[in-house]
Amino acid sequence: MAILQVQDLVKHFPVHGGFLGRVISKVHAVNGVSFFIEAGEILGVVGESGCGKSTLGKSVIRLLKPTSGSILYQGQELSTLDHQAMMPYRKKMQIVFQDPYSSLNPRMTVHAAIAEGVRFHGVVPDTEIDDYVQRLIVKVGLQADAGNKFPHEFSGGQRQRIGIARALALKPDFIVADEPVSALDVSIQAQILNLLMELKEEFNLTILFISHDLKVIEHFCDRVLVMYLGYVVEELPCHRLHEAALHPYTRALLGANPVNDPDDRRPLAVLEGSVPSPFDLPPGCPFASRCSERRDECTIRMPPLLSRGKQHRIACYAIDPITR
Amino acid sequence: MWAYIFRRLVYNVPVYLGIILFVMAALRVNDPIWTYLGKHATQEQYDQFAKASGLDKPFLRQYFDFLSDVVRLDFTVESWDQPGIQVGKMIRAAIVPSLALTIPALGITSFLAICVGLISAYFRGRWMDQLLVFIAVLGMSVSFLVYIILGQYFGAFWLKQHLGMDLFAISGYPSGGLTMATWAYYCLLPILISVIVALGYDTRYYRAVMVEESNRDYITTARAKGASGPKILFVHMLKNAMIPIITRIMITLPFLITGSILLEMYFNIPGMGRRLILAINAKDFPVIQAFTAIFAALFIVTNILTDVLYAIFDPRVRLQ
Amino acid sequence: MIAKFFQSRGARRFRRNRIAMASLALILIYVAIALAIIVGDLLTLEDTMDRVGPANLPGSWGSQTTEKRFEDIDYYLRQVERALYRRQAGQIIPRRNPEEALKELRLGSLQAADHNPVATRKRVDEAVALFEELEEYEDLDAEPEVLPKLEELERLVAAFYRPAGAMGGFSRWLELSGGTDRQGRSIAIRAIYSIKVAIQVGLVTAFISILVGSLLGAAAGFYGGWIDHLVIWLYSTFSSIPNLVLLTLLAYMFTGSIFDGTLIPIYVAFCMTFWIGPCRVIRGETLKLRELEYVQAATAIGFGKFYILLRHILPNTAHLMFINFSLLFIGAIKSEVILSFLGLGVKKGPSWGIMISQSGQEVINGFFWQIGTATALMFGLVLAFNILTDALQDAFDPKHV
Repeated sequence: MAILQVQDLVKHFPVHGGFLGRVISKVHAVNGVSFFIEAGEILGVVGESGCGKSTLGKSVIRLLKPTSGSILYQGQELSTLDHQAMMPYRKKMQIVFQDPYSSLNPRMTVHAAIAEGVRFHGVVPDTEIDDYVQRLIVKVGLQADAGNKFPHEFSGGQRQRIGIARALALKPDFIVADEPVSALDVSIQAQILNLLMELKEEFNLTILFISHDLKVIEHFCDRVLVMYLGYVVEELPCHRLHEAALHPYTRALLGANPVNDPDDRRPLAVLEGSVPSPFDLPPGCPFASRCSERRDECTIRMPPLLSRGKQHRIACYAIDPITR
Repeated sequence: MWAYIFRRLVYNVPVYLGIILFVMAALRVNDPIWTYLGKHATQEQYDQFAKASGLDKPFLRQYFDFLSDVVRLDFTVESWDQPGIQVGKMIRAAIVPSLALTIPALGITSFLAICVGLISAYFRGRWMDQLLVFIAVLGMSVSFLVYIILGQYFGAFWLKQHLGMDLFAISGYPSGGLTMATWAYYCLLPILISVIVALGYDTRYYRAVMVEESNRDYITTARAKGASGPKILFVHMLKNAMIPIITRIMITLPFLITGSILLEMYFNIPGMGRRLILAINAKDFPVIQAFTAIFAALFIVTNILTDVLYAIFDPRVRLQ
Repeated sequence: MIAKFFQSRGARRFRRNRIAMASLALILIYVAIALAIIVGDLLTLEDTMDRVGPANLPGSWGSQTTEKRFEDIDYYLRQVERALYRRQAGQIIPRRNPEEALKELRLGSLQAADHNPVATRKRVDEAVALFEELEEYEDLDAEPEVLPKLEELERLVAAFYRPAGAMGGFSRWLELSGGTDRQGRSIAIRAIYSIKVAIQVGLVTAFISILVGSLLGAAAGFYGGWIDHLVIWLYSTFSSIPNLVLLTLLAYMFTGSIFDGTLIPIYVAFCMTFWIGPCRVIRGETLKLRELEYVQAATAIGFGKFYILLRHILPNTAHLMFINFSLLFIGAIKSEVILSFLGLGVKKGPSWGIMISQSGQEVINGFFWQIGTATALMFGLVLAFNILTDALQDAFDPKHV
């Protein structure tokens, strides 16, 4: 049973300006995204900066209110709930942020930051909170005395561990990881990813993992959504990425990674053309302006996301031409 | 660009309406007629006054009447303290003395402060800079009034008494027109005092701006290319520091009109500020009301001007 | 939470700045004096009104002309005479109870040395004789024999008095250290009492302004919407009236009302003028903080907006509140001086503003003691706060201007 089912999710941000400060245009961040995640799965979301993946992640856990669309969590529709009704779900769905330097309140000790939500939701009885927090601190790999220290006394990687501890403290089932390792050095990235994997196994978590780095996603996730300018253009299992990816954008992403073999002198696939503005999306497929396989119909209408079997969906007229 | 200007104009209208509302309400907290006539006035006198000045009408009516007067620049209402003299006439008479003080003060202060700021930033950290900052902080810790009193004593009185030099007037203002000579005699001393006081604050501001600029990469590049110290100072830094400098000058523009209240009071210069204080002491209601409305209007106009100039100089603002 | 603030990076940087810590210490001394006056009755309002001696005495290291010394002797002598004699229907007759009067004779910290009316009367006659002798001279500086006679007279008159109480000698020295003003009141005592006024005005004004300004600014920045528009309209309105005009207008509002004569008009005028600064600053900072990820994390946990404002946003603006508190304190002290000069400030009792504005007349006559003492004490406090503000900004807000 899918723990999370998202249908036609749309999120637009209005832009104010003009004579009286009224809305003059919109940022089309997420444009009708549909997918599901099974319990215990790790679903990756990959794309360039500005493709809407962060917005998607935040909308799914209701940090942002969707413009339209449905979000079903364990069968419950989340998109229309008010603040009070969302409360029980807040415990079940948590988020780990990208920037270790702004994701922690500089004036709160580590212990206080982790314990805050625990006390609020009554996750454990008040008398057991200190022990509980202490165990979490150790579990994420921090020193036992970390609790009384302030965020500025820790490195980036350690701060991410604190952020993870804070997210886990509420005993969630579902976690959105919004580029959790993008701001870290490569060697630290591996540590944090390993930590996340351990915790996922131990606590039976379901993770929505957002990143711009396809290699990380490949390594960490079960399936992946490829996003471009607010649309999902392809969806497939990670172990089949190299052999089965068909969408021109996915292929470009794969080809853009330098290969570790010094004898492999294949030229890197470089995309040409310019990225359309998210304010003024042209009709049709947003990738059309840079696509080598562009057809006429690509600039008229957005290709639908169609299934090709084996958990593989793709939205492309070049692959699935319009049949008359 | 025009959209921005238009927005600033439109935005300031409710602000001005608010100011007038507040001022009028504040002035009526204690019945202005009783305050003026005193406790021993009779009810008859009160009614007479009320009718003549329009204060017997409901507040909203008074509000709109006054607003329409201001908008039409109709200042024919007469002073209570000096009956027969219109407020408009008072204003016209008082503007020139005020400006004779404040415009030169602004000019001299800005010029000196920028120079001292440049010097300070150039010698940043060394003894010259520390000394200048130290003096500035000391200077800011003494009341303006003390500068005025001592300035008047030493600048006018002492020079005359002990050295026989009648350089500056102790107080007063030429009743005829102003000439260069009379201006220097009557106005230069208050201007100098004002400059000395403002110098402390402005210098620190400009120094900070210059220091900020001198940290920028393009200065390092210029030095690497072999540009000499003074050249960097004037050609590069000053040009880029112009934006915050001009902003600062613009921000102090409103004080051109009002900042000299103390100086005018002490040196008996019949400017706008002194007129207002005298009116307050005499409880001369129409004058107080009109002058405050004008001050506020001038303030707002200069604010809008500042916003516009800022938009011209800094393209980022326009794109908001 | 306060303890944690002092452990933060900025606080530690501040503590390392020795000049700043010295300034803080000086400020605390001033506050202690103020508290001692308010709570401990170190000085009372009456103390500041008492005549302690002749008018316009110079302070500790001042010198006087012979003319002036003569006038001073006249004053001291007359006080003693008044204890012995009184005027009735144009005639000078002896008092009925001179011993009583001598016992009660008070001139600041001085009291009568000898309560025996008979002995005193004899010495008074001696002194008066010498006095009238000296009065004959046209120009006291001309003849060389004047000076020793003057000194003799001074000795005689001084013998009438002695310091009262255990601390009498010190009290007397303190009273005269700054000289006396036109009405013979002790300048030093008045200047010290003014510390209480300054601290009171500064603390109350800064505290309320910061409180109101920060709350409004934070609410405006955080909630946005109509609250933001309202607050912006409010502070635009108030800031469009020049400070001094606003202050005088508000102070004028209170004349003739029941609050006239208290410090309430000053509090109201200052608070309504000064709340704008912190409001703007805190609003700007709140707008910045609102977008930070730890605020989003708190929302994800499920905290309500008000809690987030209180627990996550405001504590991170605390450093700005401190800096503005310091700035406002200075502003309040300086504005009090100006308002008092315009007749709208402190009405009852001394304040630095009143002392400085009264000294204007005296300066013309070369008498600098009142303006000097008041300015010196004010200078100490304001300079300390200026240094404090700079240090706070350097420690907590390095990008400041």
